[in-house]
Amino acid sequence: MIRRRPSTDPLRPGRLLRLRGAVDRIFTGLASGSILLIALALVVVLAPMLWRGATAVLFRGTVEFRLMQMQKFGRGNRADLAVELVQVAEVRQPVYGMLDRFSRGIATDDLEEEARRLYREFGKQLDRRDTPAQERTELRSLAKHLRDDFTEAVESTDKAAAREALGRVLRHADDPRLKGTVAEGFFRMARDYGHIVDTVDLSRRAEYAKALGEVRDAIRALFGPRPGEPRPPLVMDQYGATRWDMAERQLARLLTAEKWVEVQPGQPLQRIEVPREQQFAGTDLVPLFPFVRERAVEMLDPRLTFYWQYFIDDSLSGHYFGGVGPEILGTLLITVLAILFALPLGVVSAAYLVECAGDGRVVRLIRTCINTLAGVPSIVFGLFGLAFFVIFLLPKFGFPQGASILAGALTLGLLVLPIIIRASEEAIRSVPPTYKEAALALGASRLRCFVTVTLPAALPGILTGVILSVSRAAGETAPILFTAAVAIGSTAWPPWSAVTKPTCTLAYSSYHIAVGDRLAALVPHNQYGMVMTLILLVLILNIAAILVRSRVAKRLRGQ
Amino acid sequence: MVEPGDSPAQMPQTAEAPDKTVRARVPTLFAAAGPRPLNGEPLIRSRDFSLFYGQKVGVKQITMDIHPQSVTAIIGPSGCGKSTFLRSINRMNDLIPNVRVEGRLEVAGIDVNDRRVNLPNLRQQVGMVFQKPNPFPKSIYDNVAYGRRFQGFRHRGELDEAVERCLRAAALWDEVKDNLRKSALALSGGQQQRLCIARALATQPKVLLMDEPCSALDPIATGRIEELIADLKSAYTIVIVTHNMQQAARVSDRTAFFCLGELIEYDWTSVIFTKPSKKQTEDYVTGRFG
Repeated sequence: MIRRRPSTDPLRPGRLLRLRGAVDRIFTGLASGSILLIALALVVVLAPMLWRGATAVLFRGTVEFRLMQMQKFGRGNRADLAVELVQVAEVRQPVYGMLDRFSRGIATDDLEEEARRLYREFGKQLDRRDTPAQERTELRSLAKHLRDDFTEAVESTDKAAAREALGRVLRHADDPRLKGTVAEGFFRMARDYGHIVDTVDLSRRAEYAKALGEVRDAIRALFGPRPGEPRPPLVMDQYGATRWDMAERQLARLLTAEKWVEVQPGQPLQRIEVPREQQFAGTDLVPLFPFVRERAVEMLDPRLTFYWQYFIDDSLSGHYFGGVGPEILGTLLITVLAILFALPLGVVSAAYLVECAGDGRVVRLIRTCINTLAGVPSIVFGLFGLAFFVIFLLPKFGFPQGASILAGALTLGLLVLPIIIRASEEAIRSVPPTYKEAALALGASRLRCFVTVTLPAALPGILTGVILSVSRAAGETAPILFTAAVAIGSTAWPPWSAVTKPTCTLAYSSYHIAVGDRLAALVPHNQYGMVMTLILLVLILNIAAILVRSRVAKRLRGQ
Repeated sequence: MVEPGDSPAQMPQTAEAPDKTVRARVPTLFAAAGPRPLNGEPLIRSRDFSLFYGQKVGVKQITMDIHPQSVTAIIGPSGCGKSTFLRSINRMNDLIPNVRVEGRLEVAGIDVNDRRVNLPNLRQQVGMVFQKPNPFPKSIYDNVAYGRRFQGFRHRGELDEAVERCLRAAALWDEVKDNLRKSALALSGGQQQRLCIARALATQPKVLLMDEPCSALDPIATGRIEELIADLKSAYTIVIVTHNMQQAARVSDRTAFFCLGELIEYDWTSVIFTKPSKKQTEDYVTGRFG
């Protein structure tokens, strides 16, 4: 057996060296792996956000959307829209027909009201027709009977009793004295209602009425107000489902009922879905549901829409429709102003700390304070801003008391001040001392040396601080909660006219939608859209700052 | 007796360093620029000048005169205080905390350590070139125009003229005239150092202090700087600190030898390198010490 002797080849790496190589490779692998992991995590977090946010801009818009765009913003082709509206109205018409016929037997108040109206009209007609007094009395009492019998039939929950009462009404149908009078309406109503009595289980009338209300709501949410109905005051009620995804939710509400049943006593109720066909089984309304299900697309005519105006439009009806224009402008304004406040202050403070202050106890205390300031929760800044800027300082300078962009920007400026100070301090400190020496040796004063040489050389580092601050300021909600934010605003133009007024911002509005009201369930696309816009906005601001920084750095390197 | 203006070859045999009794016969010193100092007076005058870094001695009791329109070299081993002395002349030592001075150091008759001295003005009169080329990260033009701008010259034509004049004086004009807007950092080391000289010239100083200006340069660039020093001698008073004794011998008229913070010997360069009066100097220049 031959024992392997250690190699004497001088070029062959020894065992220790090989081990080191392996360890090096492992570390390199680990490092690149973890970078990849972070990038992946970022994608995993951001991609769905952006994907869902994109649905705020790119979606299947229905004819209601186009109508809204035409009426509210004057966009689109008027002639095409008119043709389209006629087409969808034709398809929708039977829906309303079916609904009306059925509801006549359910909404008894309407029928009773109608009967009372007929009676009154008939009386007036009699007066006008100059009938002999005795006949008039007879006819009047007859009409009264008709009215009461009909009301009895309508109010009855018993099928036989209702039929009997209706029979009493219809007995007079051939009375020649009533021919051509308003009273004929009684017979028409009685016949219609007779049909209802034959098909509808009158004892379940209350249940039907509730379900019918749901169906009606769903249909209104789908198609907007009925043709011929007066225009509702709320923008939200003026249009049906503007987006196909919204429409699908309403369709589901229309086509299936939600029921809570007790499966086991003492256990939480369970939700089951009942098809409306089953709920309205045996009634005239049953054909409505397959009809809507099959022809919903024709009734709404969804088309792929790229709604880029989302980024400039005002929000309508509290973000139910419209876009985030005011939010974008408000976010930009408040962020830029905050940076404008914090940057000079931060750079001057950093310059003082580096160039003038020594290393005394006071300076060390100041440094500690700055570092602590960076760790203060943002809501504390918010409350401070409310107490100091909103209530105390700004009214002293003649600004109206109350939340304003100015107050919010000042508060945010304080929030990002430590970031800017620390970045600037680091940047100023790392400027080669030879630059300063050269400038001083040329006879520049210290101030001139700082402004003309140190500051330009420190600019990339300072811009890094600005980049960090922009991201922070644009995304903060708590500091502007009390100082600047409102839930809904309109685009203030020109911007300087807006600084004394409150504004809405992307971060605050998406928070508000989430906690505020029923909107969260109705407009999830809008919430994601805002978050996406915020991400894009911060990204764009960052890219701009990074480009500026790399340009400056390039110039400083002499390229 | 040492007579500035005479050529070193005609030097008297006295081995004494030039002292305060020296009177020059040279009639004009600053032909064009600035107020004229007293004829023949040394421009820089140091009397028992000492400088301390806290407790540590930087230089001690330096007494020497530096004459206008000549090149004075300061040589000596590392840490002997030659740079410290140089930087005292335009008070660049102020940048170092805990510096204390004693004695008198005059430039054109004014004590530089006087509290009333306007530092920017002093430094504009006494320009400085550093060991490592340190151009600003700006364009060539802006580098040269820097000092000129804050002297109040903002007119475009005047600045252009000054930049060209200084770059010509620093023998850099022909190399950079086509791309004055290029970054100064893109130049080679030797070009950068000449740019720094041009920049220092722009404030129209009377004195140019050079702190080992060639130590970071290759021999060719060094040669060019040395030629430049020879050219500038006619208009400026140059004080150069150098490690390189050949360089001192080549470019300077007078040489001072410093050791451990003290001025050991100060004389015409030819005297220092051929017949030094002190044993220490001889050991140093012959390479037996230092």
